[in-house]
Amino acid sequence: MSTDVRERASRCFQNVFPGLPQGEIPHASMASLAAWDSLAHVTLLMAIEEEFSLTFSPADFQELTSYDLIIDFMESQPSHG
Amino acid sequence: MTLNQALATIHSHRQGSVQHSLSLLCGFEPLHLSTFLQAHAMERLEGSNVAVKTGIFGDLTGNLARATEHQEGVAAVVVEWPDLDARLGLRASGGWSRSIRLDIAKTVAARLMQLADLIEGLASGTPVALAGPSLPLPPLGHTPPDQATTFELLLQEHVLTFLRRMSERPGVRVVHPTWLENVSPLSQRLDPRLEILAGFPYSLKHADALAAALVNLLYPRVAKKGLIVDLDDTLWAGIVGEVGVESISWHQEHGTQIHALLQQMLGQLAESGVLLAIASKNEAAIVRQALQRPDLLLPADSFFPVIAGWGPKSAAVKEILQAWNVGAESVVILDDNPMELEEVRSLFPEVTGLRFTPGDPAAVWRLLGELRELFGKQEVHTEDVLRASSLRAGEAFRSAGGNLNNGTAGAEFLASLGGCVEIDYRLASADERYLELINKTNQFNLNGARMTQAEWNAALHADGAVAVTVSYRDKFGPLGRIAVLLGRRAPDHIRVTAWAMSCRAFSRKIEYHLLDSMFGEFDVECLLFDFRATSRNEPLQSFFRDLGVFTPAAEPLRLSRGDFRRRPPLPHEVRVWS
Repeated sequence: MSTDVRERASRCFQNVFPGLPQGEIPHASMASLAAWDSLAHVTLLMAIEEEFSLTFSPADFQELTSYDLIIDFMESQPSHG
Repeated sequence: MTLNQALATIHSHRQGSVQHSLSLLCGFEPLHLSTFLQAHAMERLEGSNVAVKTGIFGDLTGNLARATEHQEGVAAVVVEWPDLDARLGLRASGGWSRSIRLDIAKTVAARLMQLADLIEGLASGTPVALAGPSLPLPPLGHTPPDQATTFELLLQEHVLTFLRRMSERPGVRVVHPTWLENVSPLSQRLDPRLEILAGFPYSLKHADALAAALVNLLYPRVAKKGLIVDLDDTLWAGIVGEVGVESISWHQEHGTQIHALLQQMLGQLAESGVLLAIASKNEAAIVRQALQRPDLLLPADSFFPVIAGWGPKSAAVKEILQAWNVGAESVVILDDNPMELEEVRSLFPEVTGLRFTPGDPAAVWRLLGELRELFGKQEVHTEDVLRASSLRAGEAFRSAGGNLNNGTAGAEFLASLGGCVEIDYRLASADERYLELINKTNQFNLNGARMTQAEWNAALHADGAVAVTVSYRDKFGPLGRIAVLLGRRAPDHIRVTAWAMSCRAFSRKIEYHLLDSMFGEFDVECLLFDFRATSRNEPLQSFFRDLGVFTPAAEPLRLSRGDFRRRPPLPHEVRVWS
């Protein structure tokens, strides 16, 4: 299940950051990736919302600022983890 | 389309240089609307690279003014309530009290006037697709939500008046609010969370629907050209061969009103230049008689040709396609009998088959909508209206001695036509008829290359641009504007980059008249053509062959004054405007 979440989330990362090599996706964060600006952040979280059919709260938008945090969040969701 | 699909589409198509430029002009953060717009445009333009340019947040009027200055590509203008008065948005705190509503209404009216002027200015050089406010208004009212307030109705009236005014302006196409409602219900359009968080007000589904609508207006699909209609239990109720001419019906009082709806739809299609023909398994004589019924809701001569007999429908379709001289992919057939549709499909898989089901009014209602979708066109030109009558005239022309397909019409016959070719060198602005000729003509088309309106505008305004248009009429009637040629002038030659002529004008030597006029108009030694042989442009290949200059490998193809002396005699009167 966890692999499935990671694969699907990685696809969303690839869609939003097409220049980001596959191997670097797990290390991506707003702090480390220049292309991950505030607009890309909204696009990324909306792409993940759409892929997993869930809705992030405004607070989630503030907090989910790295690949790891997003995966942790996804895995904590009963229907998607 | 989902957001992930849109992003994937953009990345897969983003190769090579940008071929099309699209400005998205709005006051909110364009975010996903820009993404969906780019993806839909790339799909519509079959993988071309499309760049979407956006403006400054919160400055719709400034964005419009800047786009007008640059006049580039095409533009999608999206107006939302906060662009008309910030107090109508979620990001302002100006209050919703009753006392300020009058002021809001005044601001909205003034702002719409300002936007109308700016959009008209933009549309003078750039094709514009316009969407009016599509979000729900804030809950500005003392009434329960199912009771409208005068204030809300007034705002909507202002917007509808604005959209109506814009729809009348050349170059502006307005997204149909009701159509948008069908594909994106009002209650599901707003995303208050994203609006407050990022200044982007739309749900993903609404952004997708709105982008698709805007792309449809900016890059319209090619409309079908002809509709072949069955008679019994389709155009009318009853089997005319069994019940007789007087007993077929299409009337409310006989319970056959559904056929009247179809007849009205067909009448409207005929008026807009759609070719109509009949393919019916019946005796020809009784069909002729039935079509003379005075209460038919469209003129009987709207149908050409009328094929009635006992052979397979596919044979009738073949005959009709020949009479119309159009490809099967441009044609729709309507019949109540699914077996007939299947039989036609087996021989002409490109023909779109639609079933008429008189016992199911809801299905017929959907069918009428589908016909509008298949045949809808943004403009109806004079030539569209002339098309059916000139086809009938073409039949008379053939019967009288002309052969439209192999060019064997004798000089004597052509001279007897009393033809007049009007050649005009003054084309200086975009005219959709000529763009349509370039983009829809296959047989007499120099290279099959299609042009966007922006490319057309650029070609017209290039240094040394040459644009020639041709109209024609003879004793069989006017054919209207039937040819266009685009090129660039050099000291010793004209380089022709586009040349298209309607197939309705074949076999009349009009193409020779045009080149003869050009050699007279310009002091050049030769014409160079950016010719490319396509699977469909045999008539043009044949024309060059007849002049002895056809060489498929050579590019460009060269026609000197000396070569042109091999032309046949020119039969028509010529009038030139330069």
